[in-house]
Amino acid sequence: MKPKVAFFDFTGCEGCQLDALNLDAGEVIDLLNAVDIVNFREVKTERADDYDIAFIEGSISRESEIPRLQKIRAQAKIVIALGACAGIGGINCLKNHLSMDEARQIVYGKDAKYYDTIPARPVNAVVTVDYYVRGCPPVTAELVKVIKALLLGKKPDIPNYPVCVECKMAGNVCVFERGMTCLGPVIRAGCDAICVTSGRRCWGCRGLVNDPNLDSEKDILKKYGLTVEQVVEKFKIYNTYAEVTK
Amino acid sequence: MTPKKEKVLPEVNKTFVMTKRSLKSLVEGLIKDMEVVGVKSKQGKYVYDKIASFEELCLDYDVTVTPPTKYLRPAKETLLKFILGGKSKAEPVIEAIPRAIIGVHPYDIKAIELLDTVFMSANPDPNYIARRQNTIIIGVDCLNPSPKSFASSMGTNLAETGFDLLLTDIGTGYMVTVGSEKGAELLAKHAQVREPRGNEIAKHKAVRDEASAKYKLSLNVPRERLPKLLEESYEDPYWESRSETCLSCGSCVMVCPTCFCFDVKDEVALNLKDGERLRQWDGCLLVDFARVATGENFRHTKASRFRHRIFRKGKYVLERYGRIGCVGCGRCAIACLAEIASPVEAFNAIAKSVQAKEAALSRGREAKPETELYIPRLAELVKVNELTPREKVFEFRLQDGQALGQRPGQFVEVSVMGIGEAPISISSSPTRDGTFQLAIRKVGDVTNALHNLKKGDIVGIRGPFGNGFPLETLEGKNILFVAGGIGLFPLRSLIQYVLDRRSSYGKVILLFGARSPAERLFLDELAAWSKNPQIEFHETVDVGDESWKGNVGVITTLIPKVDIDPKKTLAVIVGPPIMYRFVIVELKKRGLTDENIIMSLERRMKCGVGKCGHCQINGVYVCQEGPVFTYAQLRNLREAV
Repeated sequence: MKPKVAFFDFTGCEGCQLDALNLDAGEVIDLLNAVDIVNFREVKTERADDYDIAFIEGSISRESEIPRLQKIRAQAKIVIALGACAGIGGINCLKNHLSMDEARQIVYGKDAKYYDTIPARPVNAVVTVDYYVRGCPPVTAELVKVIKALLLGKKPDIPNYPVCVECKMAGNVCVFERGMTCLGPVIRAGCDAICVTSGRRCWGCRGLVNDPNLDSEKDILKKYGLTVEQVVEKFKIYNTYAEVTK
Repeated sequence: MTPKKEKVLPEVNKTFVMTKRSLKSLVEGLIKDMEVVGVKSKQGKYVYDKIASFEELCLDYDVTVTPPTKYLRPAKETLLKFILGGKSKAEPVIEAIPRAIIGVHPYDIKAIELLDTVFMSANPDPNYIARRQNTIIIGVDCLNPSPKSFASSMGTNLAETGFDLLLTDIGTGYMVTVGSEKGAELLAKHAQVREPRGNEIAKHKAVRDEASAKYKLSLNVPRERLPKLLEESYEDPYWESRSETCLSCGSCVMVCPTCFCFDVKDEVALNLKDGERLRQWDGCLLVDFARVATGENFRHTKASRFRHRIFRKGKYVLERYGRIGCVGCGRCAIACLAEIASPVEAFNAIAKSVQAKEAALSRGREAKPETELYIPRLAELVKVNELTPREKVFEFRLQDGQALGQRPGQFVEVSVMGIGEAPISISSSPTRDGTFQLAIRKVGDVTNALHNLKKGDIVGIRGPFGNGFPLETLEGKNILFVAGGIGLFPLRSLIQYVLDRRSSYGKVILLFGARSPAERLFLDELAAWSKNPQIEFHETVDVGDESWKGNVGVITTLIPKVDIDPKKTLAVIVGPPIMYRFVIVELKKRGLTDENIIMSLERRMKCGVGKCGHCQINGVYVCQEGPVFTYAQLRNLREAV
């Protein structure tokens, strides 16, 4: 029996789902031979409540999302956080630096009173997460890798080393040597350092490695000219949640 | 009439002269025949990349970001292809194309020679060998080394073997040394060379000598001594302190030409039938390099990984393969954002530390005696304050007018002539004025005599002795001070120091416990600390009385009241031995690691200079290695706590 896969979206831009199955035609057929996709708002209208693997997209930012997520957790054998919002809280957590009233005012203005909101949080702040497909947007190859690993009955092999490793493998000139600053030294690899390779820098969308030396990274950022505030801003973008809960 | 030019046939192991034009025709000839990679400039740095014309090639460069060894051991490669289910045998995959690498510096040539030994001797690696045998190496002497390079110290700034051709730019053209039959054939096919003239031979030597004088860094010991030096320094505190800022980012091992470790993993196609076994670069500096499936990590600390890497560079690789594991290119030092990766710096630091120990041991008969070793300096008592009927704080000034120069946490030997000498911890911070304070409980002959002194009386002072608190480690951290009773005496020096430099630290919490309200010490300071918004202060007494409105209970009852971030906090605890046992348990419950629990020990001491033997705990002399230790250092010392 093919495992049943469902995708659910919470607070987010839904770009993860859009990007999730950005596969070539042959791979789509292979995937559909391997799994049944029973819930996927962006590709099919039928819905089912019977599924084995749940991909969760988006962070949790409203009270009503909590029971909905808990229900999914109770049904699914495996819960996978898809993308930065679901995995690490992502940019939604930027609002956590405001009071919730302020946030509602800014977004909804005079209609604020009709909308509830709570500080944004990643999926694992509410329910247990089994696996992560990281990034903003997530790497399609990693999504496929996780699905394949589950089908084969092994743990997905997601790096616990920082982006620097893949950046050096790509032969890049270090961002710091190009007069910019970068979060690569403490951010989990698995993206093949795609941003640096294309001339940019790492913003941290895949979240921190398991045991990051944040003190050292912050000192380095300061050494390369950032103020304490700028260092904090840099981490805020994707990693507010990890920072504020420390 | 000029003599007719004779066509010279290049021979192996001989050096000829070639014009730049002839070099161009060699390179262009190679480009027609095979893939040619060479050094190109990129974003202000140099990299190895494919070249399509001679003009792209850069032969005068300092160092490339990553080494040319990537063409012999690519970052990722397929080793096998297989069908899942194991019914058919796996097929080997070997990818090798004819390729010339142009512009390889001698240190990289030496690194390739090491890789050849590793991959082509015992258990020869078919993938490496296929690529190596398809590779032509055209080296070039490095005339303008990187400021981070120390190749001359590693004996790798010049190469006699390991290349097909080796070029040296002598201004008027290139000297070209032929290193192999293949090299000779290439020259014969694509270039014109002639025998060098006397002045060219001289110039060849001169440019090399000039280049080798340009290295800014050097090893301070003969490199033959490195394995032994490292062997002796396995337990040196250097590894721990130097790796503190290590990001474990792996940049040092990823850019290293002599690193060759790899990981192997299977990847399966989405059809779940076809699979490949891949290998990719891995490195011992990365956190999970030595982690096994049960979760155990055999090098789980930054220090152990940092040390292992340097041991490989200076010892392990040399002992296993007969070639030094570091060629001194300096790439790791350039790549390391924390600026700690350079092997030459580690080697020199270790050499210094070992030599200091050896010198201390070998001074022997020739040693000049330290005539002042046991002679106290005179100090005048300038102020006395009674803290309790049993404790007073004494303020002294050295008569020679000098500051004591202590670190917080150090101690002095105080003499009252005729009565004796006693070790007393210093209670004031060096950040305060030119005097120093000793807070003393009256417990024995010397301290009784001290309590009888009046302003203007003279005592003898030796020291300061001991290591003191680890100020460098504390910098920038959150600090939890835990003082029990007169444990506050030594701790006060550090508390003052931290308060005087408050912005250099994170959150500061201070816990103080006394047996009873009557035994509270430094009442003015306790009051000031409790009002100071820059610190969080909690106090308790074991047994209260009617005057006491504060907490009652032993000091461990304060610990649950405070909010500690175990990752960023160092606890500094000083108090009676019994307190240590309970406080440590409590702190560990809050997630502090043994490395982050710092304590000061009290022992009997008669000399303060590591001779008398009184303060010894197992092999440790408290007056030398202490009195301040981390719990990690003490937990295996059987008599310590």
